[in-house]
Amino acid sequence: MSAGRPVQRWLTGMAFLLPSILGFCAFTLVPLVLSFAMAFTDWDILRHNIFHHAPVKFVGLENFIRMFHDPQFWRDFGNTFFLMLGLPFAIAGSLVAALLLTRTGRRRAAVGPALVLATLTLVASGLVLLIGGMPEPAVWFLFGTLAATVLVAGVLTGGTLYRTLFYLPNFTAGVATFVLWKKLYNPHSGPINLALAPVLDGVAAGLRAAPHAWAVGLPAVCGGLGLLIIAWQARRLRSEDTDSGPVATAAGALVPAAPLACGALWLGNSAAVAAGVAVLGCGVVAAVAWRRPRRYGPPLEAAAGLGTEFGLALVLVPLLTLLAAGVALGASLPVLARTGFEPPSWLGDYGWAKPALMLMALWAAIGSNNMILYLAGLSSIPVELYEAADMDGASPSQRFWHITWPLLAPVTLLISIMGLINGLQGGFEMARAMTSGGPAGATTTLSYFIFIEGFETGRLGYASAVAWFLFVLVFVLSFVNFRFGNRHAND
Amino acid sequence: MPTTEPASPPAPSAPVRPPGRFDGLGLHGLMTVLSLLMILPFAWMVLASLKTLAEAGEPAWLPKAAQWGNYLEVFQVIPFLRFGANSLVIAGWVTLLQVFTSALAAYSFARLEWPGRDRLFFLYLGTMMLPGLVMVIPNFQIMMHYRMVDSYLGLVLPPVYSALGAAGGAFGTFLLRQFMLGIPRALDEAAEMDGASKWRIFWDVILPLSRPGVVTLAIFTFMGNYHSFFWPLVMMKTVDKYTLPVGLLFFDSEHGQATHLLMAAVTMSVLPLILIFVFLQRQLIRGIQLGAVKG
Repeated sequence: MSAGRPVQRWLTGMAFLLPSILGFCAFTLVPLVLSFAMAFTDWDILRHNIFHHAPVKFVGLENFIRMFHDPQFWRDFGNTFFLMLGLPFAIAGSLVAALLLTRTGRRRAAVGPALVLATLTLVASGLVLLIGGMPEPAVWFLFGTLAATVLVAGVLTGGTLYRTLFYLPNFTAGVATFVLWKKLYNPHSGPINLALAPVLDGVAAGLRAAPHAWAVGLPAVCGGLGLLIIAWQARRLRSEDTDSGPVATAAGALVPAAPLACGALWLGNSAAVAAGVAVLGCGVVAAVAWRRPRRYGPPLEAAAGLGTEFGLALVLVPLLTLLAAGVALGASLPVLARTGFEPPSWLGDYGWAKPALMLMALWAAIGSNNMILYLAGLSSIPVELYEAADMDGASPSQRFWHITWPLLAPVTLLISIMGLINGLQGGFEMARAMTSGGPAGATTTLSYFIFIEGFETGRLGYASAVAWFLFVLVFVLSFVNFRFGNRHAND
Repeated sequence: MPTTEPASPPAPSAPVRPPGRFDGLGLHGLMTVLSLLMILPFAWMVLASLKTLAEAGEPAWLPKAAQWGNYLEVFQVIPFLRFGANSLVIAGWVTLLQVFTSALAAYSFARLEWPGRDRLFFLYLGTMMLPGLVMVIPNFQIMMHYRMVDSYLGLVLPPVYSALGAAGGAFGTFLLRQFMLGIPRALDEAAEMDGASKWRIFWDVILPLSRPGVVTLAIFTFMGNYHSFFWPLVMMKTVDKYTLPVGLLFFDSEHGQATHLLMAAVTMSVLPLILIFVFLQRQLIRGIQLGAVKG
């Protein structure tokens, strides 16, 4: 198509590329090579800088060996993965939000009038508050006005408003909102504990009034819910028309056993671990045997659906673990309730700091680009598929598992890989702005570790080694995710 | 197979899906509750910014009387305008340079044919997988070597190309290339017939037609760099050059108890974002979706 000799075409192409590739070389390629080289040296910011020219020593694998023996590295490695447990919930949340939004989005939008109405109501209620002098009950007036405004504007705009409000936390998420959440989590003056305190007081009062009903009731409810989840999972795995292969089925069958193993490990009870493993093995065997035999081709086909099962397990296992904890702790609740329940001190508490960060991250992640991508994916599913499914009398859950979920698989794969990459190197801003990595290092992630080692202690060589380890990890996990993501996604 | 079924009319007025249990007011009620959860932190932020110092230590939502003076006080306590201007100028320059260089590169990758093009493009793509953290340390070394630490140039140039917190130039090139591939080739061939140069085709045909992509990339880049924290934190030594995220944190530690002032400052740094978003959200969301459908 293009005229001219190859040299001339190359020159033209390069001319357009030049402003980009110069910077690409200077700030990406050269640093890449430099960083790789640094990982094998003892480069220290205190000894090797523009004022000191001490010779940089090549130390071979010493940085990596040191890393594997560094207890802080392993602690932060664990923290990073613990914080990433929120990722499946964030993805599930985005999907649910997108599904709900497509249901509200059918009405024609009347954005203009709705915006005017919303602005007027907000201004009016603000004026009322300012003039009224804001006594304490006025806060309910405020909440009521906000809710009414959102509801009316939402009905008028057919979901556009909800989408805007869902996306807002993600758009503004940065140090500013992290600082805001730090104040929200304040155990004394923050609104979260302000809202929690009466709830906990009510629960404690209820426990004191009827200790035995609660001691029996709570474990019963938790156990019932747990059994319900297990039954649902078993039914899903057994239904003859799931697309998952035997490997995926076995993985899915491990779900009920995992919380047992978790609990046993937590209690440090080796007998319980053994029992858990036994249950686990039996569960897998039973589940695979229980399934109708089917012929499978190559190993990859046998592993089909592994991504779905794995993702689902990441959501179900924490839920089951919590429910199991409810069963286990139920009996001792009345004793605990005698002194009343204190709301957690969130960021100041070793155990609660990570969940607090995860909750905030969830708030910012539900209405993110992931939700927008899911919305785009949902709108590109042909309506005829649902019509055909309706003709065949498909239930809503069948419609979801056989149409929506498989057709969204490419989107899910994309956002889980992106989430993985961001999650592994994330957490720095949050930790720095909210907790400074504390309490006792509970929220120090690998990225924060690299910052401390590289820029506070000054060991740039060591920090580079950790960064490269992280890169290899990102690469391997993305590759595994891509390979076993979902066979629909890879088609 | 010729069907002789009696034409079962497809019931023109029947809804595509039978309305579920949640449709109607119930669904809207649920969405309202969820939306409130999303915006209540912002409501608390504004209310807390209007409290007095004593009220800020109490767990109530509302101040007795709105203290608008807090907002003025922020400017006296910290150089807020300076931080804000730094943030805007730096994010603005990074955006401008990144969008421009990426658009040129994307045009070269999408439309021009030259030897080695695809291999080079894969190299670009490959670097998108690199964690920004790998890049921060050596870039800092380079900046130190050329004595650009604590300079605006050092704060602007590397993030234009490298993913130091926000997405870098490789992502921009990839995104815009996707858009440009979707533009019919007949358009630039027609322009070429008329004797237009490659530059004119780029500037007058391709660039205007990739506007949704350019706008999306610009918003993403601007936001990413406005929020960017690691790189400025590492690079900036003098308070005068702090950006908002770094400045706010400095404020948080120096005046840890002044929640009301901190919240006023946070409000002022979040408010522009909310306004940008409300006005540009349609473009932004369309851009993300177009990119996704093609990508």
